[in-house]
Amino acid sequence: MTTPRTVELVVNGEPRAADAEPRMLLSDFLREKLALTGTHVGCEHGVCGACTVLVDGESVRSCLMLAVQAQGAEVRTIEGLGSADDMHPLQEAFWEKHGLQCGFCTPGMLMSAVELLESNPTAGRDEIREAISSTLCRCTGYQTIVEAVQAAAEKMQGEGQ
Amino acid sequence: MKPPPFDYHCPETLDEALALLAEHGEGAKVLAGGQSLVPMLNLRALHPAVLIDINRLPGLDHVSLEDGRLRIGALARHRAVLESAAVREASPLMAEAYPYVSHGPIRNRGTLCGNLCHNDPASEMPAVVLASDAEMVLQSASGTRSVGAGDFFTGMLSTAARADELLVEVRMPQAPAGQGAGFHEVSPRKGDFAYVAAGATMTLDGGTCSGVRIVCAGVGDGPHRARAAEDALEGAAPGEDAFRQAAEAATEGLDPGEDFHADADYRRDLVCSLTRRALADAASRCH
Amino acid sequence: MTRERHYIPESRQREKPKSKYFAIGHSMKRVEDTRLLTGSGTYADDVSLPNMAHAAVLRSPHAHARIVAIDKSKAEALPGVICVMTGAEAAEVTGPCADFSSPPTPQHCIAVDKVRHVGEAVAAVVAESRYIAEDACELIEVEYDPLPAVVDIEDALTSSGDAVLHPGRGDSNVAMQRTIEFGPVDDDFAQADLVIERRLRWPRSGGTPIETVGATAHYDRGTGKFTIHANTSMYNYVGWLIAVSLKVDPHRLNIVPTDAGGSFGSKLFCHKVCTLAGTLARAAGRPVKYLEDRIDNMTSGDAHGSDRLYDARLALKRDGTMLSMRLKVVDDYGAYFQYGVGQHGNAMAQVTGPYKINSVEVDLTAVLTNKCQQGAYRGFGSEVGNFVIERLVDAACEEFGIDPIEMRRRNLIEQDQFPYIMPTGNMYDSGNYQAVLDEALGMIDIEGWRKKQAAAREQGRYIGIGISTCQERSVFSATEFWMWNPNETPGFTLSSSPESVSVNIDPTGKAFITLNAPFWGNSPETMAVQVLAEKLEMDPADISVGYADSDKGFNSSGPGGSRFTVMIAGAVSGAADVIKEKMLRVASHMLEADPSDLEFRAGSIGVQGVPGKEKTLAEVALHAHYFRLDLPEDHDLTSGIDAAYVYDHPVTTMPSEDRTDLGIFYPIVGHMCHIPVVEVDVETGKIDFLDYVAVHDCGTMVNPMTLAGHVRGGTVNGIGSALYEHFHYDESGQLHNALLSDYLHPTLMETPVDIRVGHVETPSPFTEYGIKGGGEGGRMGAPPAIAAAVEDALKPLGIKVDSLPLTPKVLRGMIREAEANGG
Repeated sequence: MTTPRTVELVVNGEPRAADAEPRMLLSDFLREKLALTGTHVGCEHGVCGACTVLVDGESVRSCLMLAVQAQGAEVRTIEGLGSADDMHPLQEAFWEKHGLQCGFCTPGMLMSAVELLESNPTAGRDEIREAISSTLCRCTGYQTIVEAVQAAAEKMQGEGQ
Repeated sequence: MKPPPFDYHCPETLDEALALLAEHGEGAKVLAGGQSLVPMLNLRALHPAVLIDINRLPGLDHVSLEDGRLRIGALARHRAVLESAAVREASPLMAEAYPYVSHGPIRNRGTLCGNLCHNDPASEMPAVVLASDAEMVLQSASGTRSVGAGDFFTGMLSTAARADELLVEVRMPQAPAGQGAGFHEVSPRKGDFAYVAAGATMTLDGGTCSGVRIVCAGVGDGPHRARAAEDALEGAAPGEDAFRQAAEAATEGLDPGEDFHADADYRRDLVCSLTRRALADAASRCH
Repeated sequence: MTRERHYIPESRQREKPKSKYFAIGHSMKRVEDTRLLTGSGTYADDVSLPNMAHAAVLRSPHAHARIVAIDKSKAEALPGVICVMTGAEAAEVTGPCADFSSPPTPQHCIAVDKVRHVGEAVAAVVAESRYIAEDACELIEVEYDPLPAVVDIEDALTSSGDAVLHPGRGDSNVAMQRTIEFGPVDDDFAQADLVIERRLRWPRSGGTPIETVGATAHYDRGTGKFTIHANTSMYNYVGWLIAVSLKVDPHRLNIVPTDAGGSFGSKLFCHKVCTLAGTLARAAGRPVKYLEDRIDNMTSGDAHGSDRLYDARLALKRDGTMLSMRLKVVDDYGAYFQYGVGQHGNAMAQVTGPYKINSVEVDLTAVLTNKCQQGAYRGFGSEVGNFVIERLVDAACEEFGIDPIEMRRRNLIEQDQFPYIMPTGNMYDSGNYQAVLDEALGMIDIEGWRKKQAAAREQGRYIGIGISTCQERSVFSATEFWMWNPNETPGFTLSSSPESVSVNIDPTGKAFITLNAPFWGNSPETMAVQVLAEKLEMDPADISVGYADSDKGFNSSGPGGSRFTVMIAGAVSGAADVIKEKMLRVASHMLEADPSDLEFRAGSIGVQGVPGKEKTLAEVALHAHYFRLDLPEDHDLTSGIDAAYVYDHPVTTMPSEDRTDLGIFYPIVGHMCHIPVVEVDVETGKIDFLDYVAVHDCGTMVNPMTLAGHVRGGTVNGIGSALYEHFHYDESGQLHNALLSDYLHPTLMETPVDIRVGHVETPSPFTEYGIKGGGEGGRMGAPPAIAAAVEDALKPLGIKVDSLPLTPKVLRGMIREAEANGG
């Protein structure tokens, strides 16, 4: 069945549906069918991590998943985090700590960090480094990204108390 | 880098999946975690006519320890295995090796069984299951058979599984009480496939090494069991010299292959040093 | 003695460095970030036009071959395919790609007749989707007649006949050979007590940003005009050359810049991708997007870095005084020669480093091979020079038994010698190199590390400490691109490299800055905002920034050669002066005071010495925009407040005819000291960082936070070049690591946990506020420092580091050999 089928899923809390050929990658589906271009595509072989999104709460390479596999799933992307005037603590911390330069890896970094801090709010530096190491950044040298995630973790814990 | 066209099936039951496999055979690829398959599709290194997505099959994501037997189902993700208490209890070697397997997002999707079926020679887990006397449970529409790990890995990116068979479960006997395990790896970067990895298990039986297993990845066309090294150490007193001799024995006659990252001499050097380190760790962890 | 050879133009600096700033010098959060953090950036692949089609290219599997025949019938018959173009068909409507080499090495956006490297486009498909376009590529049948592949850099020197890539340039793959002597090299060598000689190899790596190059082109058949959206940097400088390739007048091409997901030099121009997308859009009659995939980018992105083999000599006196250098260098340029030997022009800016070296001879041979051609990568050739001179200096230390720090102290140019004319004729504007060294040494306990090193060696562990003291030339001038050319074929001898902006003050007193260069991954908006806020004492939050397309833009070189911050400061400063003058004139009428009695206060203009007698900028702006009749008769005093300003290079001069004096072309010169501490696992060849200190002097810092970001990011690029990255071509010209799984960008786990960055500020006397460039420094200082650290660690084994990258295999191989020799 190479013919397109309708993929229904929830993206950033909103029910969405669009047709996709079985071979269409989830990354392309999000970007082209749902116009969510905040998820970036850098290598299309699962190495760079820029396309990382959350599927049912877990980080995945959206270039290594078919859109049809996301049928019924709950997907979260960078667009679902926060807006310029209402940022997620991670976005704020990346801004504050200069955790980005060109911004191309940023969606992957942010979504990996969201997964980490939602599952492990008290993550320490080594756990943050482990989580962030799955995504390549060519600009920052990574250090300020780790600092940003640490800062966000502290802030989120403070707010949670 | 987009996949070529293929027919896609997403069976809801194992029987349905096996029927599809029987029908399509060589033209079909099984899609489990997809972390090796989809890159190959994107690169158009494969042109399967049919993809059989097994992700919605029920009851195959187990990681359990029952009656001294570790059972890991076809849909158990790397992350589930990595975090499993059953694995830590039943297989110290697998527990030691798992942190070297890739990165979080890949572990969230990728499955152990898919990894074994892919049989990349630089992959850690084929070596681990080879050291662990694992049995591969292969099921097809015509029946179920069990293949030992030693017979399962048949060469570069190939296994004994027939085109109509699905690896539904890996079974491993629980490691003997007191067993220690060590695993060391050198890879291009953290999370990459290994240049060379070496794993070792043993128990200390009255002050001598017993039940020694030494395996390597990245040294040929599949996981490699260093039997000469095992024999050299079996029954010997643990110690730096003994481990060194065993590690050297692991390199004897070894033709590890080479690529531009790592030539044969380098791989042999790594087999030697990493085996020694793995043995030392294994011995120190015996209890 | 070279100092007298030419004059130093008078400084055009208008804004002197200050002891206290309003906006400059603050680690302000970046203006760019809110859109990038919310997924709202617009990168090349985010452009979508109505009725847009998608292109893919069929890549050559051969390194060198004649194209005998192409059968595209099956591809054309595939449903969803709009058109398929071969190189020959494209060449009927589109000329060769822009090329700055002289004589040129014609390159087409799709290869014509011959392919010269693996990955070169042989045909292109336009289809309803990228998926279908790739399906169609698989259906194109090409018959090739393989030619001998030239891969080895030294083989390229002697190859001939069918192995010649561009027979039109003669029966040789030597693209250029020239020797230039700067100063009395023979005399200086004659005085030497010791000549250090090393053969050094710098490997081919590349910027390889995570975003590839892409263009979306539309050809309007009603007007004959192209619109191309692309992540290119220099579209307002040389973008019109794409129109020349497309055979339309420049005013019939509008290039619209997108955000770029990193460049590191690799997106300076991107002309081939733009030319291809334009050609396909015209043929398809629909807008076409062509985005390189990862393999396209790695095999055919025209942006590989320097690939050099040096026979390098340094002449010294017995006391360690450095006298002169002789450099014989062969550089493997790959299959084309787009910037000529611009990378070596660049290296001449600082070839003798920060040292009082009196003369230098450079014997340069550029060769062509069947590889992707070179482009720009962070350093543009000067980073290699830093590696070479620092390796020579370290070798001299070893030979003399002089401590590397002491050796540098003795030879660094002294603070009172600036402005300093170095042997090639370039000027170092200012500096305080001893202060940079002091700052670095103050941040790290060298003695403590030496003790740890000794203790570790007792345990069979190998720790090493390295140091580099390097230059970071900044603010390129265009002469670097052609000064090496033979005088009989000089090429395009341009000497302008300006930057420009326009600034509009709206009726509410808020500002909009239009840049004529794109967002290429750095902080252009933040820099412009901080400088304008400084000039007008405005709240930075009241300033926005946009980017002009080439229809509206005017002459701007764009980012490159660490020039943007300096140049934009000049342009913004100039525009702000125009605006200030007008606002003062308007305010003077409103306040009934002479303009010379007025001053800018935070957010307002007031009468000096009269607190409270002031008008806010908003009041002045509203007046200027809407109350013309309240202002006196004065033809100059038109409505509104706007300014456009072109800032030319702050200080540059022409090279001499004989090129023994290259003139001033890269004069705003920063300095750095890197000190890494590494541990080498001698059994595995793996290297770990135990500490890392990097101190940079980039003059006045506009934003210390973003500058530190550059230093760290560049340093990690340098770690990649030193330890991990190398485009691996085999003897048949196949590239074995065109994927990010094999071309090894360092991940977080390969980088130091804390790159400790320090700053020294020596303001430039030639630029506004004394700012210097700082975009490339990290990668220019890290490789020699890491090489030194590894060599220091392995000193007991007698291992010398002469080539990079120091991969585990390479390092373990050297260690194995040393062990076998009883090391």
